Amino acid sequence: MANLNLTLKVWRQENAQAQGRIETYKAKNIPDEASFLEMLDIVNEELVHEGKEPIVFDHDCREGICGMCSLTINGVPHGGKKVTTCQLHMRQFKDGDTIWIEPFRAQAFPLLRDLMVDRTALDNIIAAGGFVDIRTGSAPNANNMPVRKKTADAAFDAAACVGCGACVASCKNSSAMLFTSAKAAHLNLLPQGQPEKNKRVLAMVRQMDALGFGNCTNQYECEAACPKGISVDNIAKLNRDYMIACAAEAVGVFA
Amino acid sequence: MRPLQSCWLCLLFCCCSRKNLVFGACFFGVFAVEYFRKDVIAIMNDIITTACKFVTSSIGRKILVALTGACLLLFLVGHLAGNMTIYGGDPGNGVPSWIDAYATGLHTMPAWLLWAIRLGLAAILLIHVVLTLALKIENVNARTQYQKEGTLKATLSSRTMVLTGIMIFCFLVFHLWQLTVNGDPANCYQHIVDAFTSPICSGFYILAICCLFMHVRHGLQSVFQTLGLSTRKVRPLYNIIAVLFGLVVCGAFISIPVAVLCGILK
Repeated sequence: MANLNLTLKVWRQENAQAQGRIETYKAKNIPDEASFLEMLDIVNEELVHEGKEPIVFDHDCREGICGMCSLTINGVPHGGKKVTTCQLHMRQFKDGDTIWIEPFRAQAFPLLRDLMVDRTALDNIIAAGGFVDIRTGSAPNANNMPVRKKTADAAFDAAACVGCGACVASCKNSSAMLFTSAKAAHLNLLPQGQPEKNKRVLAMVRQMDALGFGNCTNQYECEAACPKGISVDNIAKLNRDYMIACAAEAVGVFA
Repeated sequence: MRPLQSCWLCLLFCCCSRKNLVFGACFFGVFAVEYFRKDVIAIMNDIITTACKFVTSSIGRKILVALTGACLLLFLVGHLAGNMTIYGGDPGNGVPSWIDAYATGLHTMPAWLLWAIRLGLAAILLIHVVLTLALKIENVNARTQYQKEGTLKATLSSRTMVLTGIMIFCFLVFHLWQLTVNGDPANCYQHIVDAFTSPICSGFYILAICCLFMHVRHGLQSVFQTLGLSTRKVRPLYNIIAVLFGLVVCGAFISIPVAVLCGILK
């Protein structure tokens, strides 16, 4: 196991109002089995020993399921290896590499400190319609409610979204279409989500527009950066569902 | 008398005598609108409200851009089919090129139809350009630049859509000025050959068509995605269609200045 010596170019910013800047740090003797966040932990320990402010970054479960960790690594959210930053291992890098570490950038994600951004905007999209109003009870018995296998698979794939915001951060237009479409598709595909489908689509899209995200230009950067492999098929489905929902609203099919 | 009964009376009235047809129809219209006024307003209100929300939403505007883009793609095909008539006939041996007959034919169509097509195309182009620019401005404002930018799979053509679009627009203005405003349908062939004999003019045309290729290459497959007709299975196919369409259409357009420069058309 060879240990790595790296040069880090890290975005430092004291608070939302402060002027941010790139600072250079040496990451010495990093074991290649360490995760990216563990590498930052090692660097931070050294910074604390030197009496400096440690680098602030978001993290929680560190097993790739919570969606809390972020970091744009060399210009690509989560480093572009189809895993979350916490699951990105230092063996992906070579000794002597220079690594640029920046926050998830978008106007809709205000920066809080260093590499930590406020991703409440995504929660606001969910709050607008990413739910079902009816009581669905506890998990039903298997096959109690027939759902086609393909439909169930598509809904499950969409539901795999952990809401980390990498789609927004990777998008050249900071569009939240992949997130919104995955969250809408997940419910729209299943029987429990059918009654409120049109209402949900309109509410979520309008909320997304109001929050200052950009507009999708079909570059599919989001799909490539997504650590959960969410497909842009969901975006095509949302476009389709939005047209249907607008037509339904125009003729008053639902209030 | 209640409006509905008046309606039927009017209808009877105009059926009785042919002379009263116009009067009767007018009254019928007035009463019908009066009777259904509240419903009409309610329906129109819903439709207009939703339409307004649609054309100001992100997806709605994208759909309009996609639809107008699709119209412009169809126009390209028509334009190309017309252009290809330049290879017909044999002007060197006194047989006039087919493009002269084609151009004259275009100008002999009724003026109202010609202008309807021109204004229709202009309106489509205007919607396409204005909405795209509005979306682009929003996109620029929504983003914060990275110190180190990285790209995973966004194609060069997709990232330069506005740039190639502006280039095509500038070309369009020049093209209309050169061959439509200052054109002579009867001598269309000679006019084109004279224009393309200049390498600068030909070079500009070829450059502009290359921009058109990049624009169409991303635009065509984008239309399918935006209109919700795309899935994982067929997306690669759309990509191939877009590239092939771009190559065939743009290649055929470029062939004309190239043919003139090579002396095939003279």
